[in-house]
Amino acid sequence: MTGPVAPSPSALHIEDAHGYLERLIRELHALGNERKQPLVTVLEYVSRHIAQTREEVGSLRPAGANSLSSTADELEEIVNETAKAANEIMGAAESVETIAIGTDPGTREALQAAATRIYEASAFQDITGQRITKVVRALQHIESRVEALTRACGAAISASSSGNVANADESLLNGPQLGRNAATQSEIDSLFAAAELPS
Amino acid sequence: MSLNKNMRVLIVDDYNTMLRILRNLLRQLEFNNVEEASDGEEALRALRRDPHDLVISDWNMAPMTGLDLLRCVRSDDKLRRIPFIMVTAESKTENVVAAKQAGVSNYIVKPFNAETLRAKIGSVFGTA
Repeated sequence: MTGPVAPSPSALHIEDAHGYLERLIRELHALGNERKQPLVTVLEYVSRHIAQTREEVGSLRPAGANSLSSTADELEEIVNETAKAANEIMGAAESVETIAIGTDPGTREALQAAATRIYEASAFQDITGQRITKVVRALQHIESRVEALTRACGAAISASSSGNVANADESLLNGPQLGRNAATQSEIDSLFAAAELPS
Repeated sequence: MSLNKNMRVLIVDDYNTMLRILRNLLRQLEFNNVEEASDGEEALRALRRDPHDLVISDWNMAPMTGLDLLRCVRSDDKLRRIPFIMVTAESKTENVVAAKQAGVSNYIVKPFNAETLRAKIGSVFGTA
């Protein structure tokens, strides 16, 4: 059998190996020897499984709103939103403490104790933030491994992961916007005013 | 021996909400001379710039963790005597052991309450 020399094992990707296997199968089909058939059958079986594996790996990479990096963005937004909420709550507690200064000692003590409980409880944001950061790091690691696996397999991106959506209404379900991309009410009002009514 | 409430305290955490919590709780304990840093490197710069009497630091920060900050402080002749309290969600035995071996003065696990903060500060200065 003639053909290009196979690359060294360290440079071989599954896509290349699959290509060589397909070529081997074609060459064997061209041979007239009947005893080749069991070997050809086995090789075709292996080739089909490699093709199926590459397709499966290709479908590991959901695009758009379901991508891992998009999910990580959503989780990071949770950290931002809870920080904003915790700061608002503490701001209110600080105001209570300021007001407490002008009250009688009993009331002042009770209000300060309540403010203290609010500060202590606000630590939830720190704890949840750290947990979410761990999850985000894990997602980023998974995403990089999937990328590497996809490259190694030379996997074709399947239709289900390409971002094509069968149902047009499903594409309208995106959930809350990320803070940095969020449209303001004013922008929404402008869009609404400009949108055409159905004919 | 009473505690000097005018002591200069450096609080270190990469979460702004936690810095605000610590600042408010310290204010309730009448510590009003409080400086903030959001990571170990910023804290080290602050400590080398001006004298401080107490460091209260988180552990899990980047680029410099609280443990690395502690080790830098303890290996610096000018800083090594500063009391250093770790306030962290890290609660495994090996964390406490590592911090102790690095020279931490006391260890508070998150979430914590005001009384714990008061008691640990008092303990570090021998007034608890």
